[in-house]
Amino acid sequence: MQKEQPKKQEPVTGKPKSSLMQWLDERYNLSALREFAKKKSVPKFRETIWYYFGGIALLLFVVQVITGILLLMYYKGTEDIAYESVRFIDAKVNFGWLIRSVHSWSANLMILSIVIHMFSVYFLKAFRKPRELTWYTGIALLLISMAFGFSGYLLPWNELAYFATKVGTDIVGQVPFVGKFMLTLMRGGEDVTGATLSRFFGFHVALFPGIFVIFLTLHLLFIQRQGISEPDDWAQKEEKEKKTIPFFPNFVLRELLIWLIVINILAILAVYFPWELGNKADSFAPAPQGIKPEWYFLFMFQVLKYIPGKIWMINGEIIGILFFGLAGLLWIIVPFWDVKLKPGYRNRVITYTGLGILAFIIVFTIIAFIAG
Amino acid sequence: MNDEIKTGKSRREFLNDVIVGGVSAWLLAILYPVISYLDPPKSKQVKVSQVNIGKSSDFEINSGKIIRFGEKPVLVIKKSNGEYAAFLAECTHLNCTVQFRKDLGQIYCACHNGKYDLNGKVASGPPPAPLTKYDVAIKGEEVIVFKGEG
Amino acid sequence: MKHISIAYLLILFLVGAITFRLSAAPGNDECLNCHEALDGKVQTPAIAFKNDVHHAAGITCAGCHGGNSSVSDMEEGMDKKKGYTGIPSTKERYVLCVKCHAEKKAMQSFGYRGSTEQFEKLKSSVHFKNSYNDQGPIADCITCHGAHGILGAKNPQSRVHPTKIVQLCGNCHSDPSYMQKYNPGLPVDQVMKYRTSIHGVKNAKGDTRTAQCVSCHGNHEIYSVKDPRSAVYNLNIAKTCSHCHSDTVLMAQYNIPANQYKKYQKSVHGIALLEKGDAAAPSCNGCHGNHAAILPGAESVSKVCGTCHAFNMELFEQGPHKTAFNIKKIPECESCHGNHGIEPVTDEFLGTSSRSFCISCHQAGDNGYKTAAEMKQLLDTLTASKKNADQYLDIAERLGMDVTDEKYALKNMKQLLIKVRTSVHVASLGKFKEEIAPGFEIVKDAETHGRKSIENYYFRRKGLMVSTVIVSILVGLLYLKLKRIEKEDRA
Repeated sequence: MQKEQPKKQEPVTGKPKSSLMQWLDERYNLSALREFAKKKSVPKFRETIWYYFGGIALLLFVVQVITGILLLMYYKGTEDIAYESVRFIDAKVNFGWLIRSVHSWSANLMILSIVIHMFSVYFLKAFRKPRELTWYTGIALLLISMAFGFSGYLLPWNELAYFATKVGTDIVGQVPFVGKFMLTLMRGGEDVTGATLSRFFGFHVALFPGIFVIFLTLHLLFIQRQGISEPDDWAQKEEKEKKTIPFFPNFVLRELLIWLIVINILAILAVYFPWELGNKADSFAPAPQGIKPEWYFLFMFQVLKYIPGKIWMINGEIIGILFFGLAGLLWIIVPFWDVKLKPGYRNRVITYTGLGILAFIIVFTIIAFIAG
Repeated sequence: MNDEIKTGKSRREFLNDVIVGGVSAWLLAILYPVISYLDPPKSKQVKVSQVNIGKSSDFEINSGKIIRFGEKPVLVIKKSNGEYAAFLAECTHLNCTVQFRKDLGQIYCACHNGKYDLNGKVASGPPPAPLTKYDVAIKGEEVIVFKGEG
Repeated sequence: MKHISIAYLLILFLVGAITFRLSAAPGNDECLNCHEALDGKVQTPAIAFKNDVHHAAGITCAGCHGGNSSVSDMEEGMDKKKGYTGIPSTKERYVLCVKCHAEKKAMQSFGYRGSTEQFEKLKSSVHFKNSYNDQGPIADCITCHGAHGILGAKNPQSRVHPTKIVQLCGNCHSDPSYMQKYNPGLPVDQVMKYRTSIHGVKNAKGDTRTAQCVSCHGNHEIYSVKDPRSAVYNLNIAKTCSHCHSDTVLMAQYNIPANQYKKYQKSVHGIALLEKGDAAAPSCNGCHGNHAAILPGAESVSKVCGTCHAFNMELFEQGPHKTAFNIKKIPECESCHGNHGIEPVTDEFLGTSSRSFCISCHQAGDNGYKTAAEMKQLLDTLTASKKNADQYLDIAERLGMDVTDEKYALKNMKQLLIKVRTSVHVASLGKFKEEIAPGFEIVKDAETHGRKSIENYYFRRKGLMVSTVIVSILVGLLYLKLKRIEKEDRA
């Protein structure tokens, strides 16, 4: 993918066509494609910076696919040698340490950029009609990414991952009515065992990528069809006043610049903060200190800790899960309850709710980090 | 005027060329690790649940050899009746590596003269406990050592 | 009249009371009076009992057998209705002893102030298990102390006196047909062996200070050797021997030192056994034997050590020292390593330094001296380069590189070093070099790997730098390009 982008730009910027371009143009009518791209534009205003994060997430997903496929060549998803195979990748395979570390870091940065992308869309009210479906598919992509993260975390079969998975699936097991079933479905039995590893491996490399690609295609198609969302105060602006930058090549070049930087950041993280492997999981060993899930689950994890064991006869944990479930649902269906005011008036409820949620997530994530 | 355009044009062409060169260098920097990653390392892949120790016919009767099983040494013995036995080669006394002694027909620890029979049980000397047993299976011609359940 | 009769009754009562009291005193035991005068089986116990400590304490036959000792009428005295029990069953006869001997107050009323715990101890011992014929305990009080004619343990005539007790224990323990009914694996030659030991010889001559059976095994509280409570359990036996052998006053009487236990405690064997709890490490009996305790002689000492240090012995016997030591009549292992206070071996014992064993015979210039120096130098080089390799691997590991395989290889060095150090005993430079050579290879490999891992670590950073430089230039160029396009767009 990185390969294609720079090549594409050439025919546009370099006016004199190369013979290859001519050859292609004759056969595939590239100029029509170029004309189409030229018409596309991106609004230029104070918040344009946020428009890049969707693209960053896309880049990181591609990085995930490539490094994931590379890891698959040496990884073995069975209980007795999963850990050893990861250790083998880290120690013996040329640049194995780099590929694994990039995969782990890229996964985290991908979720981070999706979250930033989501909040920017929320605050810019880009989820409004007619873009509801883009919002829903985006939410689906975030949820699948989190599932990717949760399942991938277990794959090295190390101590921390083992216990984090145990705790994480336990919480799912608390969900009323379907919890027990979901728990056995996820674990492939009563406990976290080799069967769980096999399942998570299957989910991680076959099921989730498939679903992800479907939603990603829809998400991109919707954007393609409807164009990029404009800020809501542009509605009463005149066409002249709307400053835009051409999508191609200007926006693409900028995005490309950012991608280069992101990839380099990934390399720096992988070299200076290699992803640790820790000790092999041992179901008989006592739980190690400081088991915690991936950072994007941390705030929920931390809040669940504060909920008392019993609130009126009901298990506190269930209340917590219901709370998060309800809050998440409300968040997802924001296009429904969002009241569109007259043009020119800002819907402050949406903004303040968003800020409140953001503050809540940030505060509890920080507390969880400090509490260790 | 014409000159200016010309120089502007050649400058732009130069910039394009440099960018193409830069992208190629960058692609090389990315492809080099990826391609060397695909080149499988010389050392054997890990397989700790079982270790293939070669052909049965290559294993002399009434002899023993020490193989590496994960992080541990394992002593594999082919008894005089052709049967195999495998044990963790660490003496239960002070963890010295034990060996098969043809002349004694026993497993022997040179450190303090500990002896075990071919079932891993202590025959004489200081070891306080029998050797940990491993299992051996024959698949066709191949002798495979593995850690059984329990 | 009435008063008189009351007075009469009172006198009668008093007389009765006095007579009863007196019946406890020797001489007034009517049972004894008759039985003494009888013949045969019924007479023996009576005669024996006259010398019994219990008789002297005023206990009558009735004290154990029941009935009434104060009446001369046999029918009345031995009336079962009045509590006469006859010969107690072997199953429960110990109860009669325990009735008093386990009760502090009862014993005090006889003026005895010693221990009353004998039964408690006996109860947990091997002897108090039920016998094969269900005839009560294997051995109870009477088995050892007898029934009539029990004497104080200090009385030379007592069955349990130090000079008699060996014979007493041997009654059962030297009888193969008896012992095999209980423990077929247990040897029956202890007494025979004991008699060959210095303890046994002196004991036979009437020396009560040397060890006999109960000195080591205890008396009432006798446990199996495998029982950690036993005084002869491997972890306890050194302490048991030290009761006498660390007693300077007692040992001075025999002209032998009393510092063995002290030395032993600090020796490799003592530390292994007493501090690390390695029950396989030799205690006193590991070298001296137990019942037939002896001093291993100069010639046999290497065989004794060789039971565990077999390889060392084997190697020693292959080398030139064997003949040399034999000619000079020097004890083999002991002359270098010592006996009770064997120090943990260090490499300093080899070579030509002041701590070296070699220089006690070899002098500068002779072949042995040269060999020792060369061996030491090789060994030092290997240990130093191992340390070096360890350091490289540690650094590599700290840098986050995986060196598990190399660490595994170095772990094997431990085994190799044991072999190398053992091979010193053959005192042949060729053999030594043969053993040490693979060590240098392992260490070299580990060091190279460690070095490479560290280099690799820095290579990663260099590679990152290169790629960062490329990316930075590229970013700059693209930025220029972008500016140019935007400029053109505006134009």
